[in-house]
Amino acid sequence: MAAPLVLVVLAAVTVRAALYRSSLAVFIAERVEVASPLNAWKRVVEGLALLDLGVSPYSGAIFHETPLIIYLFHFLIEYAELVFMITDVLTAVALYLAIQDFNKVVFKKQKLLIELDKYAPDVAELIQTPMEMHYIPLKVALFYLLNPYTVMSCVAKSTCAINNSVIAFFILATIKGSAFLSAVFLALATYQSLYPLTLFAPALLYLLQRQFIPVKLKSKSFWLYTMQYVSLYLCSLVVIICLSFFLLNSWDFIPAVYGFILSVPDLTPNIGLFWYFFAEMFEHFSLFFVCVFQINVFFYTIPLAIKLKEHPVFFMFVQLAIISIFKSYPTLGDVALYMAFLPVWSHLYRFLRNIFILSCVLIFCSFLFPVLWHLWIYAGSANSNFYYAITLTFNIGQILLISDYFYAFLRREYYLTHGLHLTRQDGTEAMLVLK
Amino acid sequence: FQDQAEQFFRSGHTNNWAVLVCTSRFWFNYRHVANTLSVYRSVKRLGIPDSHIVLMLADDMACNPRNPKPATVFSHKNMELNVYGDDVEVDYRSYEVTVENFLRVLTGRIPPSTPRSKRLLSDDRSNILIYMTGHGGNGFLKFQDSEEITNVELADAFEQMWQKRRYNELLFIIDTCQGASMYERFYSPNIMALASSQVGEDSLSHQPDLGIGVHLMDRYTFYVLEFLEEIHPASQTNMNDLFQVCPKSLCVSTPGHRTDLFQRDPQKVLITDFFGSVRKVEITTETLSLDRDVAGFESKFPEEELAAEPLKYAEQLPVAQIIHQKPKQKDWHPPGGFILGLWALIIMVFFKTYGIKHMKHVF
Repeated sequence: MAAPLVLVVLAAVTVRAALYRSSLAVFIAERVEVASPLNAWKRVVEGLALLDLGVSPYSGAIFHETPLIIYLFHFLIEYAELVFMITDVLTAVALYLAIQDFNKVVFKKQKLLIELDKYAPDVAELIQTPMEMHYIPLKVALFYLLNPYTVMSCVAKSTCAINNSVIAFFILATIKGSAFLSAVFLALATYQSLYPLTLFAPALLYLLQRQFIPVKLKSKSFWLYTMQYVSLYLCSLVVIICLSFFLLNSWDFIPAVYGFILSVPDLTPNIGLFWYFFAEMFEHFSLFFVCVFQINVFFYTIPLAIKLKEHPVFFMFVQLAIISIFKSYPTLGDVALYMAFLPVWSHLYRFLRNIFILSCVLIFCSFLFPVLWHLWIYAGSANSNFYYAITLTFNIGQILLISDYFYAFLRREYYLTHGLHLTRQDGTEAMLVLK
Repeated sequence: FQDQAEQFFRSGHTNNWAVLVCTSRFWFNYRHVANTLSVYRSVKRLGIPDSHIVLMLADDMACNPRNPKPATVFSHKNMELNVYGDDVEVDYRSYEVTVENFLRVLTGRIPPSTPRSKRLLSDDRSNILIYMTGHGGNGFLKFQDSEEITNVELADAFEQMWQKRRYNELLFIIDTCQGASMYERFYSPNIMALASSQVGEDSLSHQPDLGIGVHLMDRYTFYVLEFLEEIHPASQTNMNDLFQVCPKSLCVSTPGHRTDLFQRDPQKVLITDFFGSVRKVEITTETLSLDRDVAGFESKFPEEELAAEPLKYAEQLPVAQIIHQKPKQKDWHPPGGFILGLWALIIMVFFKTYGIKHMKHVF
């Protein structure tokens, strides 16, 4: 499988290099859909320039990157394009390896459940076979590398790519089963943008599953392992934050990075839901609504954990999608990350109900974003409502996507245990309804 | 006679320019336009041609729909004097009268497409009269009710004119409230300034005309106009007489003037040096030999007429500073402790994951 992967990587690198050399690079770099105040390349350059002048880069409320990014780019700023291409490639390779391992785990589990007779007799067509799953890791890498969203995000040199790669490494470490590495990478991901904190729950569930520790609240081994993982995670987070202090000898980066993410002061339009509301809100309500909006991201973790505790990787996918929809400054790079996982659940295709509408909504919204931006900002014949309408529609499309996949997944699980042809008590065909 | 001929080459200027600016718009500021037009009239009558006058009027009073006597601008309530005349040439009109355009005219930084009539094409032998009127305050003059020019900006513009050798001598007259504040900051040589009121005083208008319905002129300019009506191209009236125009009894405000930057004695400066374009032509039937002997030259004139010290232009390029430039600031580098800590952590994570037994492969 290495050769096709290398081919895919080469194709992706060529596409990116071609775009870097073209005139589109400047145009894409300025688009608000790929460059948010948190991860725009302009701001990284500005922060480093301020540093060269002897001023703290956080003093201007322009730069919101973490000190480790400063360290990374201080030496690599001339090779920025190369860095971002390599980052994308690393993400794709990490996802490839992770999904390869995940497939093995899925097989093992499936075999176990078949031998234990947990499946209904007539579900042969629902069981995944190695034949059809052989190409899934390659498809995942392909989906990530050649996704137009990723390509644009890379050409715009948005540091979202670095965040994506850290999350990809975290997923790889979790699926390989190494709690230590997984905690370290999760700490790095949380350190950079706060929201991967919610990925703690699926990672914990997966690692518990791997250690064959049942998730019971009274079980001692469960709590022991959880405490171990929590302490690993918190220790690495604390160590990384303290280390960042020593870069500039100040705690400036904490309000500049985390305060900025949480309090959302910058209302530049993006593909998220925050900017429009907060632009028109009265001052004395803004704290309340900031809390409400931020809670939205963290809110779904516990219910999903309860429902999906047997399927932590799917939980991780849904959680990633929720993060990229509800985070305060989403960009298309975040969307591209969870879309890379879609081939893993291609076996749910027969249960997906809204595929056509979804794909239409997402594709049209992607094309309408620049159109309405131009109409609003340059032509002056539209206003922010138009652009926000497209943002809303895009987010509704995304939510519809994950709820569709969620429903399809649950349906398949139900059919697996209860058989494909469900009958009611009186013998007629039954329909499965999500309540 | 030879003395007079010598005097001929001593006065210094060969051409005259005038920049007349009215900065207020709206019908009730009729008097500001009338002020400017009356100075325009005098200046034109005394010989400065339209090509050497830059007239900036912020609004059109003559053809204003509220003007009961269209195509006229009167200076006196009995409608004795129509200062609009038949041949007024307004160079900057209406919204073109902005601080930017005014400063561009003065400093000469004008886009290449500007027509000649809108340019101040003065040289280092030009005497320039600058007259400004409108609403002002302590340190500023309001343009068009939306922006201001400050006294510092004006002083810097004049310094630019001096460094670009755009004037020989400059007479600055301002008729606004607290007008004296506008000439407080001048620092270039050869500028004489007059203002209609001191800091803290208001300049008042002269009389309203009940037929037209507005005040027709400001007091200071009204009396200056009266004074200038007596002047003809051959007058020998000097600046000291101009300083006496409009005493407090007539003007209510105290006019001020500033001559410390001016090289010559105001007594010896003729009104026509600035308000008129007097060509010094003397027809003589006998030949003159102008004495080039420096010693003889100097002895003919009393001591105080010579300049105390030669005029200098400010240094354009501070060479001394450039030679001893400060060394370039060093680039920022991450502190050593941070790098050490980070790489130690990375190595620790690596070995924890892959086991200590690999260490012997690394070393």
